[in-house]
Amino acid sequence: MSFEAIKLEIFKHLFAAVAEEMGTVLRKSSYSPNIKERRDFSCAVFDTSGQMVAQAAHIPVHLGAMPLSVKAAVEWFGDDLQPGDLVMLNDPFQGGTHLPDITMVSPVFLMGSGNAPIAFCASRAHHADVGGMTPGSMPVAREIYQEGLIIPPVKLVRGWKMDTDLLRLILANVRTPEERSGDLQAQMAANRRGMERMAELVGRYGLEEVNEAMRQLLMYTERMTRSLLHSLPDGSYLFEDRLDNDGISQEEVPIRVRVTITGESATVDFSGSAPQQQGSVNAVEAITLSAVHYVFRCLLGTEVPNNAGCLRPIRVIAPAGSVVNALPPAAVAGGNVETSQRIVDCLLGALAQACPEKVPAASQGTMNNVTIGGGLPRRAGENGETRRGQFAYYETIGGGSGAGSGTDGVPAIHTHMTNTLNTPIEALEYAYPLRIRRYEIRRGSGGEGKQRGGDGIVREIEVLTDCQVTLLTERRETAPYGLEGGQAGQCGENLLIRNGETSQLPGKGGFELKAGDVLRILTPGGGGYGVKSP
Amino acid sequence: MRTNPLRIGIDIGGTFTDFVVFDPANNRLKTFKLLSTPQEPEKAVLEGLEIILGKQSISENTTASRKANIIHGSTVATNALLERKGAMTALVTTQGFQDVIQIGRQNRAELYQLFIHQLPSLVPPELRLEVDERVDHEGNILATLQPVDVDNLVVRLQDLQVNSVAVCLLFSFLHPEHEQIIGERLRQAGYAVSLSAEILPEFREYERTSTTVVNAYVSPILDRYLSRLEEGIGQENNLMVMQSNGGSISPAEARREAVRCILSGPAGGVVGCEYVARMATSPADIRTHPGDQAPSGMGVLTFDMGGTSTDVSLIDGKPRITTEAVVSGCPIHIPLLDIHTIGAGGGSIAQVDPGGALRVGPESAGADPGPACYGRGDLPTVTDANVVLGRIPPEHFLGGRMPLDIDRATTALEPLAKTLHLSVEEIALGVIAVANAHMERALRVISVERGCDPRRFTLLSFGGAGGLHAADLARGLGISTVLVPPLASTLSAFGMLAAEVIKDYSLTVMLPGTTPIAELRSRLEPLTERGHTALRVEGVEEQAIHIEQTLDMRYQGQSYELLVPFSDSFLEIFHQLHETQYGYAKRNGTVEVVTLRVRAVGEVPPPPQEAEEYDGEDPGKAYLGARDVIFPQGTLRTPLFRGELLVPGNQLQGPAVIVRTDTTILFGSSDRARVDGYKNLFIEVGK
Repeated sequence: MSFEAIKLEIFKHLFAAVAEEMGTVLRKSSYSPNIKERRDFSCAVFDTSGQMVAQAAHIPVHLGAMPLSVKAAVEWFGDDLQPGDLVMLNDPFQGGTHLPDITMVSPVFLMGSGNAPIAFCASRAHHADVGGMTPGSMPVAREIYQEGLIIPPVKLVRGWKMDTDLLRLILANVRTPEERSGDLQAQMAANRRGMERMAELVGRYGLEEVNEAMRQLLMYTERMTRSLLHSLPDGSYLFEDRLDNDGISQEEVPIRVRVTITGESATVDFSGSAPQQQGSVNAVEAITLSAVHYVFRCLLGTEVPNNAGCLRPIRVIAPAGSVVNALPPAAVAGGNVETSQRIVDCLLGALAQACPEKVPAASQGTMNNVTIGGGLPRRAGENGETRRGQFAYYETIGGGSGAGSGTDGVPAIHTHMTNTLNTPIEALEYAYPLRIRRYEIRRGSGGEGKQRGGDGIVREIEVLTDCQVTLLTERRETAPYGLEGGQAGQCGENLLIRNGETSQLPGKGGFELKAGDVLRILTPGGGGYGVKSP
Repeated sequence: MRTNPLRIGIDIGGTFTDFVVFDPANNRLKTFKLLSTPQEPEKAVLEGLEIILGKQSISENTTASRKANIIHGSTVATNALLERKGAMTALVTTQGFQDVIQIGRQNRAELYQLFIHQLPSLVPPELRLEVDERVDHEGNILATLQPVDVDNLVVRLQDLQVNSVAVCLLFSFLHPEHEQIIGERLRQAGYAVSLSAEILPEFREYERTSTTVVNAYVSPILDRYLSRLEEGIGQENNLMVMQSNGGSISPAEARREAVRCILSGPAGGVVGCEYVARMATSPADIRTHPGDQAPSGMGVLTFDMGGTSTDVSLIDGKPRITTEAVVSGCPIHIPLLDIHTIGAGGGSIAQVDPGGALRVGPESAGADPGPACYGRGDLPTVTDANVVLGRIPPEHFLGGRMPLDIDRATTALEPLAKTLHLSVEEIALGVIAVANAHMERALRVISVERGCDPRRFTLLSFGGAGGLHAADLARGLGISTVLVPPLASTLSAFGMLAAEVIKDYSLTVMLPGTTPIAELRSRLEPLTERGHTALRVEGVEEQAIHIEQTLDMRYQGQSYELLVPFSDSFLEIFHQLHETQYGYAKRNGTVEVVTLRVRAVGEVPPPPQEAEEYDGEDPGKAYLGARDVIFPQGTLRTPLFRGELLVPGNQLQGPAVIVRTDTTILFGSSDRARVDGYKNLFIEVGK
């Protein structure tokens, strides 16, 4: 009997179902809109050595980052991981990505199988607030200590018993403790479900077969990646793109990548990228690995399981101390949401030289992060409510996707490293002192070409009370590139309309708004592809 | 009054149009199938009715020998949407929001595709029109709709060549007047108009817009179809149309709100399953044979495996309702039966991918060319695997009307066998195992994701292809019992026959949980009254009307709601429900009543069916011989039974194959089966 062919396919479903079921439990039992409605979370299953076997398809930016969480938990606790333990962390320099993303790792033990875990289950969720200098914990900061509470790998649960002191310490440092407590509970429930299902799988198929299946699945994805790399022409492909700035200085921040394909393997070398920055655009290594994983995963096609096998034939060089592998105490909030997008743009730009027909032009290349907080003039959503009777609202805005060979870009959509949903206007206006005045496609903003880039979005938010706005946006100065002669997409713009006067706002920064002010955000269009025939 | 009209359920499927006829005069049930006529679906319907009622009554509008109540589920509205062949539809929105229909929720369907594939919007940009008006979240008018803007709208529409218009303005559920003014003018001008405040007066603008647009897009199509059908049926027969909420409705209502008829076919199946499940556990049956008591208060997982897709749903007492369906990329947020569909069926094609995994689907051989064994196609499918394993006796397929080509099935599987260095039989077993893994995952989604442990449920298998897989699936899920009803392949049409008349109403109110109960009651009253009136218009007797009132509730700040039955203790029930579903309750938290819901039900007595007396355990009269069937553990000489000849009380020890005209059922050596008083086959699944 050929194990690979049939059992591979069956176990592919089985492991994926475990991760997906964890995700369902997390979404259903979580409290905050950010998890429940925007679905900013991920769940995954790992083998004994901490290699990812399956990840539920939720948020690409978590892809390559989750394994480092498991690794950090295992490295810190070593042999001290016991049945019923659960490790929590968010430290970007020890298995995390940015502070709002809290990860929980549960070792799975089998009765009578001794002291070694047979697998790990992990969940990661973006929490709406983890303290720090501004509500929402996505400030334009200069060091990580300003960004919120840092949690190194710690045991939140020890032998099935929760450390309530630790939980109280965490809740004392966040603005919305009740919501945090609910969401942390939901993550624990998701991990429990994952452990149960893994134990069931072992009960049904036996440990040996489950282990073998994990091994085979990793090899399977590795084979698929190797066959992909083999199909690409050997060569060395260099591409450089840049971030507008770090939000503190006005300097551009270049990111450079050289992708070298040799037979069935590849090297992805970020040497020559800018050093880590003062502002919060720094990406930790986990983000960079996620971006690399995402890009090659996309090239593989849809049906391949998301597991560690994908990166095996790919060597990633991200120099320590650079903007793609920042060291403490760098501020990193924007590395996750903005720099991750630019890393993808660089990788695609390089790979477009190898296989122009498989790679689209640049998409909008930003998530357009907008956080609005302030005093409440009237009742508002309990979620956004802080200890001081304030509100905090966070949104990201879609834009244009890049055109490709034979395909126009798509307008007004989230691309690459994010896929979170918007908050309905009618829900938002019930909950916050905000009014949306316009939400439409920014016509003509996609790059011209034989195939047109997708258009961005125009969104106008009127604030009905005095409040503070934090913008963390990109592609305001450097446009999303076109390919094969296609034009670049238009840059985004942030505008303030006050008393009928329009003025320009920078791409990153905090601003005081007065009641009646309108924030007008124009998101970038996608790049065009090919020369437009006259 | 008509005396004892016949009741006829008709379900149009891709391949067959199914008819189930109940004659109250003798309590007899009759079923048959005709080939569907996809170009003009009414042709097959009318042909079937001619057969049932006699030529005269159909074609000549004379006094018929028998009159009939016809309940009909059609795929006309669904297909118009799936194939993007609906009416040219314009959309009118609040200034600044014409693109909400296209932006949607900003997310993409597939995470890992560099080229995003999006179905074209039902309303292209040039057919989106804006009017200058705005209402806020408390229903205050910030900008009043000006008559001159409405005039302009009419003029602009004239150039657009549309005949259907959807109108969706922000917060129109709080202040419907602006939509109504526009609606009145456009209706006068001869347009088919769908107003969001009429179709779905609930918050969340994208989902409301999408639902309203789908209605505008498919209504004219359903309207034309129903007109042709009514003409053919004649006035003396009463026609009702099946909705996706599991209830029926008059054609007049259906053509106004066609969006409610999308997915009506699968809904019929679920209603049929509910009826079967209720009957199978009824006291009558238990009295007949007390030893064979079915699990009491039986919850069922329904499993409808067809040629290209498989529908699954969960009935825990009642079928589950969802208000969050998405069809062909379009959210449809009216209440409908919660049915999960995957693209795997008997026609799913097997292949080996570049990484060396054996994959089944999502590509399907469909009805044309169909599985290789049907004689036209060459690609190996799940059905071909079943044939090669001896699980479908070729000479009995579809009652022997369609001989199967085993050699062709074998030939189709050979390339896979060669690639993977396996025998054809091993490959066939693999194809079945992989297909089952797909379906097991779907069944887990519909149960586990809805918070239910599948092991508590009975697997109710219907549809043509399910009987061969059900026992193995149950084993994989830890389910102990499989139920295959006698009408397995016409259960959707049967469900329509048993469906009640249902009207759903809703209104977003966003009230605090502290609102006095008297006020909630008075806010529910207009919806209730509308339900009563509508059912009276449908001809439902007052005493048969039954009203269900529910509240969508949440803790303030949450973005999802729980459905709470309305009663004096609705607050406490909400806390309890939240605790059971989500693991905690915040009894001191601020609660919101988001949306009011009223469901008006006109009860229809289901066709009474009596359990037959048991007639011995020995199934010998149905025995057709034995054949070799290949199981994972080896080849077993397996007895073959004719399903139609099994009688109540029969007991069967696996392995066995039961052939029926419409389906084939297989169970293994550790399973046993029995036939109950309604000729339901119960398979007790062993290890």
